[in-house]
Amino acid sequence: MTAPPDPPRPSGIRPAPAAGWTELALDSVSMTFNAGRPSEYCALAKTSLAVRRGEFYCLLGPSGCGKSTVLNLIAGFLRPSAGTIRMGDRRIAAAGTDRVVVFQDATNALFPWLRARENVAFGLTIQGMAKQKAAERALQYLELVGLREHAGKFPYELSGGMRQRCQLARALVIEPEVLLMDEPFAALDAITKRILQKELLRIWRRLGTTIVYVTHDVGEALLLGERIGVMRRGPGSSIKEEFVVGSPYPRKPTDEAVAAIYARVEASLQDEVGVSLDAA
Amino acid sequence: MPPRLLRFLGRAATTAVSLSLALLAWAAFARYFAIPDLVPTPAATFGMGLQMLRSGALLDHVAISLERILVGYLAGCALGIVIGTLMGRIPIVTQFTDPLLQLLRPISPVALVPLSIIWFGIGDLSRYFIIFYGVVIIMIMNTAAGVASVPHIRLNAARCLGARPGQIFLRIMIPSAVPYILTGMRVALGFAFMGIVAAEMIGAQSGIGYLIMQSRTLLRTDIMFVGLVTLGVVGAIIDGCFKLAIDRTMKRFMEHQVNI
Repeated sequence: MTAPPDPPRPSGIRPAPAAGWTELALDSVSMTFNAGRPSEYCALAKTSLAVRRGEFYCLLGPSGCGKSTVLNLIAGFLRPSAGTIRMGDRRIAAAGTDRVVVFQDATNALFPWLRARENVAFGLTIQGMAKQKAAERALQYLELVGLREHAGKFPYELSGGMRQRCQLARALVIEPEVLLMDEPFAALDAITKRILQKELLRIWRRLGTTIVYVTHDVGEALLLGERIGVMRRGPGSSIKEEFVVGSPYPRKPTDEAVAAIYARVEASLQDEVGVSLDAA
Repeated sequence: MPPRLLRFLGRAATTAVSLSLALLAWAAFARYFAIPDLVPTPAATFGMGLQMLRSGALLDHVAISLERILVGYLAGCALGIVIGTLMGRIPIVTQFTDPLLQLLRPISPVALVPLSIIWFGIGDLSRYFIIFYGVVIIMIMNTAAGVASVPHIRLNAARCLGARPGQIFLRIMIPSAVPYILTGMRVALGFAFMGIVAAEMIGAQSGIGYLIMQSRTLLRTDIMFVGLVTLGVVGAIIDGCFKLAIDRTMKRFMEHQVNI
């Protein structure tokens, strides 16, 4: 079966990004919470990271290692205690529409009083796009994530997986340069998760958006990421080691090349966890 | 019969039985145990009520009381929502206002009647104030709680979708707080009805509260009961309408409250 050729990006406003550019760079970024107080906690110490334009980058690490802190820093929700974060040649100082986050908790991240299509159109109308045009665009992106026929539903009427699709559409519709995903599928059941991983890959390859994807699941990182950054255990975390996964998509956990990297990533992660991850 | 109608009839029947039992108990008590002058029978009460309805006196009292409730209530809601929102958003406002609020909370509207009369005289202004006072405290607390409890990631989501602070406030915080505000408004409406008797206790020449107070002077418990029943019935009807209006128009804001 041959897949139909990928249609152009829905709006065609921004040309598909040229690969290879450094899009996003963290340079010796440190993050200390509650500095100077007894509860002071150094989450990140001199973390550096460079993500290429159009790349799918997975941040992998044990629970509490500061993955989400990295994401919140890139998103601009947090300001680093030291170091710089740049998008292209701009320094990041606050949240912006070039970097949109997809949160794990879709129930709270979506606007519960808006229908799916209104949720998706929100980012467009808030920036002044005419209602009619925004509604059309919203439907295009709901179509993209396979939620077209549920456009009129409220979030509480959607399943967990559909809510994540809706959140994804809401993020993509404003055509961010970087999509920041914070364990987006971690709360879903195993099958929905696999379907959404596959969908995400399809959409990523079609739109070419740079993705930084936080996960604690080695298998997920290997199925999705072109590059995987393994983080140290906190406090004072940083990226310990990076792995390039060169295997073509779609990948299977049983592919030989994937399995080989799996073992290396797992070993790297295991050092950080401190206990054996093998089943008893 | 469609199941919805059936359910409705079932509920109506339960309500009817519950009310009939209460009436029956009242009638039996008045008839067999109480001194007739102290506890009028339901029949005597409704007879008196009917007579007062026919003469138009009852409706006049209801109308003037409702007007006082409405003015005080609306003013209290408006100011309460504004102050509550500020408290929910700006920590210094909370730190500043909260101690005062905690001090005021145990002071009931009734306790403020004498002061209110000294301050505002025996006119309606004093009555508006009594109602307003009861309402505003509840509205401040509920609104502040609602605004403060907006999920953090929802604000962050709006932020990276390009919403500016003013837009976040109007389009995220306020809608997120709507369930708290509306619940507060319903509770406050009950308080406004409770406050009306206190507000009309002194100096008033009309209103349900006046009717109740005056019948005490005349030792007319039947008129007093008419006043009490009227207060209950009118209050329940208005609350019912309020609830219906919320269900009809605010469904999208309320639904997620029960469905998470």
